[in-house]
Amino acid sequence: MRKAGIILFWAFMSFCVILLITLPINLQTQLIASLVIVTAMAIIKILRAEGKWRLIALAFGTAVVLRYVYWRTTSTLPPVNQLENFIPGFMLYLAEMYSVMMLALSLFVVSMPLPSRAASEDYFPTVDVFVPTYNEEAGLLANTLAAAKGMDYPADKFTVWLLDDGGTLQKRTSTNLLEDQAARARHQELKALCHDLGVNYLTRDRNEHAKAGNLNNGMKHSTGELIAVFDADHAPAQDFLLETVGYFEDDPKLFLVQTPHFFLNPDPVERNLRTFERMPSENEMFYGIIQRGLDKWNASFFCGSAAVLRRHALDETGGFAGLSITEDCETAIQLHANGWNSVYVDKPLIAGLQPATFASFIGQRSRWAQGMMQIMRFRFPLLKRGLSIPQRLCYMSSIMFWLFPFPRAIFLFAPLCYLFLDLQIFTASGGEFLAYTLAYMLVNLMMQNYLYGAFRWPWISELYEYVQTVHLLPAVISAIINPRKPSFKVTAKDESVLVSRLSEISRPFFVIFGVLLLALVVTIYRVYAEPYKADVTLVVGGWNLLNLVLAGCALGVVSERGEKTATRRVKVSRRCEFGLEGKWYPATIEDVSVYGARVNVFVQKIPHLAVDTRGEIRFTPYSGDGEPEILPVAIRNNTVSGDIITVGCRYLPEVARHHSLVADLIFANSKQWTDFQLSRRGNPGLLRGTLWFFGLAFYQTSRGLAYLFKGTGARLEAAREGNRS
Amino acid sequence: MRRTLLLSGLALLMVTHCGYAQNLPFDMSPERPAQEMPPAIPDQPSDGSDDAGAAQNASVTAPAQNFRRFVLPGGDLSLSGEIAERAWSIYLTPEQAASAATFNIGYQNSILVAPEASRLSVSINDVALSEENLSSAEGMAEFNLTVPKGLLKPGANLVRLRASQRHRTDCSVQSTYELWSNISAEKTYLDFDGSRAGIFNGIDDIRAAGVDEKGLTQFNLVVPAMERPAATVPLMRLAQGLAVLANMPSQSVTIEAAAPEQARPGHMTVLVGTAGELKPMLPELPAEAANGPIAVFVNDARSGAPVLVVSGPSWEAVASAIESIVAPTDAGPNSRRDVIATQRWHAPDAPFLFSSTDIRFSQLGVKTENFSGRRFRTEFNLAVPSDFYANAYGEAVLLLDAAYAQTVLPGSHIDIYINGNIASTVPISTPGGGILRHLPINVTLRHFQPGVNTVAIEAILNTDEDQACVPGTAASQTPRFALFDTSEFHMPDFAQIAQVPNLSAVAGTGFPYSRARTPVPVFVDRIDSDTLSASATFLARIATSAGHPIPIETVASPSLIGNRNAIFIGALSQMPSAVFTQLNIAATNQTVWGGGESAAGDDLETREAFDEWRGKLRGGAWNGQVTAIEDWMKRNFDISLSSLRLTPADEVSFSPAKDTSLILAQGASPEENGTWTVLAGRTGKELRDGALALTARENWSRITGHVASYRPDAKAIDTVAATRVELVSTQPPSFANYRLIAANWLSSNILSYALLLAGLTVILGLATALLLSNLGRRG
Repeated sequence: MRKAGIILFWAFMSFCVILLITLPINLQTQLIASLVIVTAMAIIKILRAEGKWRLIALAFGTAVVLRYVYWRTTSTLPPVNQLENFIPGFMLYLAEMYSVMMLALSLFVVSMPLPSRAASEDYFPTVDVFVPTYNEEAGLLANTLAAAKGMDYPADKFTVWLLDDGGTLQKRTSTNLLEDQAARARHQELKALCHDLGVNYLTRDRNEHAKAGNLNNGMKHSTGELIAVFDADHAPAQDFLLETVGYFEDDPKLFLVQTPHFFLNPDPVERNLRTFERMPSENEMFYGIIQRGLDKWNASFFCGSAAVLRRHALDETGGFAGLSITEDCETAIQLHANGWNSVYVDKPLIAGLQPATFASFIGQRSRWAQGMMQIMRFRFPLLKRGLSIPQRLCYMSSIMFWLFPFPRAIFLFAPLCYLFLDLQIFTASGGEFLAYTLAYMLVNLMMQNYLYGAFRWPWISELYEYVQTVHLLPAVISAIINPRKPSFKVTAKDESVLVSRLSEISRPFFVIFGVLLLALVVTIYRVYAEPYKADVTLVVGGWNLLNLVLAGCALGVVSERGEKTATRRVKVSRRCEFGLEGKWYPATIEDVSVYGARVNVFVQKIPHLAVDTRGEIRFTPYSGDGEPEILPVAIRNNTVSGDIITVGCRYLPEVARHHSLVADLIFANSKQWTDFQLSRRGNPGLLRGTLWFFGLAFYQTSRGLAYLFKGTGARLEAAREGNRS
Repeated sequence: MRRTLLLSGLALLMVTHCGYAQNLPFDMSPERPAQEMPPAIPDQPSDGSDDAGAAQNASVTAPAQNFRRFVLPGGDLSLSGEIAERAWSIYLTPEQAASAATFNIGYQNSILVAPEASRLSVSINDVALSEENLSSAEGMAEFNLTVPKGLLKPGANLVRLRASQRHRTDCSVQSTYELWSNISAEKTYLDFDGSRAGIFNGIDDIRAAGVDEKGLTQFNLVVPAMERPAATVPLMRLAQGLAVLANMPSQSVTIEAAAPEQARPGHMTVLVGTAGELKPMLPELPAEAANGPIAVFVNDARSGAPVLVVSGPSWEAVASAIESIVAPTDAGPNSRRDVIATQRWHAPDAPFLFSSTDIRFSQLGVKTENFSGRRFRTEFNLAVPSDFYANAYGEAVLLLDAAYAQTVLPGSHIDIYINGNIASTVPISTPGGGILRHLPINVTLRHFQPGVNTVAIEAILNTDEDQACVPGTAASQTPRFALFDTSEFHMPDFAQIAQVPNLSAVAGTGFPYSRARTPVPVFVDRIDSDTLSASATFLARIATSAGHPIPIETVASPSLIGNRNAIFIGALSQMPSAVFTQLNIAATNQTVWGGGESAAGDDLETREAFDEWRGKLRGGAWNGQVTAIEDWMKRNFDISLSSLRLTPADEVSFSPAKDTSLILAQGASPEENGTWTVLAGRTGKELRDGALALTARENWSRITGHVASYRPDAKAIDTVAATRVELVSTQPPSFANYRLIAANWLSSNILSYALLLAGLTVILGLATALLLSNLGRRG
């Protein structure tokens, strides 16, 4: 009753506000109203008011956005009888309305993100841990399996399974001789590794239904009450199960506990822009805010890894769904629709790798986008029976996000319609632009910053969308036209870029940049040549300039920086002893990677250390019985400062236990990941963030161009060499 | 395109044809249209205008000489610019239409008008009579045109004067403002052969009252018993009825005891009284007057002109004779005009827009036109009702069909003016010529006011040829611009609610008195010639705006009025002070106006001069840039501190300046649901003269706001805008209308919108917080 009253009151207030917003007031009134509201919003934002104030600020923003929508709809569309203006104008309008709708959906989703709740302790059901693999190398798998095996949980209650799809019978008996041989070797190697680590190895006859089929096969051969899934490169922390399993006791209808994906290495954007250490990662917005928002509406969904699921629930819907290439989200929709619940735990409990090169990054995103399009087509969530209304909206929000290549492409080319072709696709005067569009854009940025400020810096969303759009647009279109065509492709994550070069798919970015640059020249020309419409030209030119800044920054993204270290190091600061030629020196482990560690050793008399000298690290692992254990290493380099010698060394794992030690060093402590995330989390604010971004974009543009000319020069050189010889 | 043009051309033809074939001078009266009258045959003395049983057909003969009718309504006509046109209709009696006539036109043009390239065309009923080169810069030139037989029709005849003028030496847009031709009212007339044209036969011929050499129309009511209190109401009714029938732009009514000595064109003498009262003045008084009510034209031997005799054996009979003239002009209880009749000074009539309407230019009298000059201009009239309330927010849309030639340079523009104020500018920004097809142009409704509004379209065309300006460029006939009559004016639905005070509603449509179902109380302070004449002139003017006579009753004291709509007319000294207090007018001393030292207009003039000087002294590159931004802001937003208000400011008491001779003021009645209008002169004489000046068309259309005052020395009207306005509902309650009313109110009280929106949004935010903490999972 009370609830109905509140809903009614809210609906009535919304009605009043909408009534006021759809009054055809004049321009002056709009200007003053925008000014008042933007100021009020800015004050709330500067004061960092939370709780109720947050929602008031969002309501302010919504009011300005809705005024813009009203005005945009009623008075800016070009007349229908001018088709050459109307068609692009209407497309731009649709693109804007898409953005507004996405804003509305995301407002709904993240209106009140839920903090994590405590789960009950002392609940230890049986758990099967699945690590599906397809083509990952044994070293990587060894770490993951060792970390999984090292989880803090009663040993008799959990079983780790390596689900190998690269060594199936189908592959081992392939007509392709090479493939056949590789599969056989892999099969043997992994079997042995699993044996050493005390892990079950499982493969199947045929590679049907890709990852979903593999997981379902695992379910067939196991019996645990719960199922934890880790991607081959996602190594869990020690406390993973302790932090997640308890929720299943609290809610018998719970099917999923999802945790964030934390990455040890930067994605190509972060790597090439050098922002990994300073700026929150792209996926932090999703895992830090959006999943929490979804959790509020019981709609946080399965992300393929780092999650625990209930076998009983999966059995009800026939296991993991395999209709789309994003089986994770699809499975979650099915189970939500069957009345099961999900919980999201906002604490990084696994650490993994993400694609290192721009090309594989795009490959991964193409899979996500295409999979979401398939879900849209086959499981249209808005009309899916069984889902609650908030869940429907939440899923629509997640899926429709992937339509962004369309509006992004339209925003990119719309100003060119005016600058090159002189089309009037947006009929507004300079004054109207100031009072409506500028207020809208300002409010939009402020709302974004308000919602995601600490997780997403200004303009970074736009940059990510832009760099993906160029290649995602065809992928999305093809998935829409032919939704059964896309097939599951495993993303390569263990590549590395050793030499600085342009990405193999960088050409379109340079072409677009050139076109936008030309448009800038045209802008300047037209401002002087046609002073009577300079105001419109300046507005459109400004828009194009913004696109140019993004496109310039993207040139940096596609210019792959060469790196000496293959993987990212994680700071650990852990006491140990360093053994050299039978002597033990006191030392601390400074940082570690999956391949090696850097150790500060306290030595009074410095011995000569040749490359590949064998050493040993002795430390107490979290997972052992409290006794120190020894990990053999090879010394690669060293630097001396006073009594401290810093030694860079590579692991030399000889037995399975050594893998566990490496895993213990890197993965065991989940707190270090939280600390790392918090260290780069921070809202630079709209103004500072924008200035920073513009500076970054300028630098990256020049870097991209330098790579281009260097590359061209080198190619010319090579051609000349070729001619001479 | 071509087919459209052809079709629309056809449509236009049909429209004009119908318009003049039907000859409907009025839209609301149930009387027979004029063309139903049989063609006038000289032998036939009467045409059977037996509107009332009492009316008699007594044809009279005027002295045997040519009968002259002046044709310019409103005095001298200035045709300025490169292209200027004026069309209006004159009402001819059957006798006049049947007579041979010559059309005399006198004009003088600016010395800068190039004679070989400039023309004045004259047409009657769309038949071209002549096209003269404009070549009289030195002095007045006259030319005489024989009107072909059969061209003139009984009833309305359309006269069209059109000047096409080019500059002798200059090709700039600026130079086009130096081009003018002045058509002299005194020298422009129709001369009818023989005397029959002067004969007025029936009551319908009142419509042919015409104008004098200054373009004015005057009804001289001769009433020997004018001081009878019972006569006032019938006299006012007669004055209104005559005015509505003639419907000329500038009409006045005098009420005197004695007849004027001489008959004059444009002046109609009306003798009103019992047979006994009139007999001494008019020996020719028909004998029937002693038996029953009569309203006939009689030839007055003394002045040699027809006089209208309204008489009967008693005043009751006189009143019923008056009714026989006036009753046909009464409006039905629920009638609504489709047009406001303006054709006597501007044809066609202005369409009356009450709600969302699309009107083609062809219906507005704008024709497809090719233009070879540099400043094209055309205009048309539209009318909106008295409860029009969309000035602050409203926008109409002009869907322009036009074309411009390759030679037209970007930087040219098309401007829309409403009542002389710029309302929109569309830049022509694409070089190489172009065709605009239904190009939507938003036109602010800020300058619309109740009644007739003039919309002007002006195209400023820049070309390289004009820049070079080799000899002959100005006179070139190559078309540069074309406006097509398929263009449309779209008026959206607008908010409708009456405002009090709002003098422009009275001026435009006679509101609120025009809607009176019961007689409107009129307080007339004394019954003498001056006051009665002023009252009659004023009421006649309101009736003309309303399109029908207003029923009135006289009251002796304001206390009898209560809360009704009322009109107060009188000399300052006689006016009840309570009325001034109610209208917030400081009448500190009721014999002279209050302490206002200088007239508001002086201030204005000083300010304008100051602005002009400031404009002249602007310069310098940097200064220019800053000014450009400032101008841009001003042009786009026009926000001043005073417009940043929450609610309307309190009204400041108005005190008229010393040199004011007359004020017209309006305010709400004590209980705020009636509208009181006061017309007060310093003295009785000034009241009369002031009323005459105020009701002349060019002044009447300027009346707006809370107070309008007249300064005879400057011949100027000053107005004071209303700050505190009561809104009075005029429409049945409807959500759509309330929404638009709110839009207008909030657009004029800008801060209230901002605060209301912010306030509601805060509540919505809190409601959302409450909602979210009750929905979904909780933390």
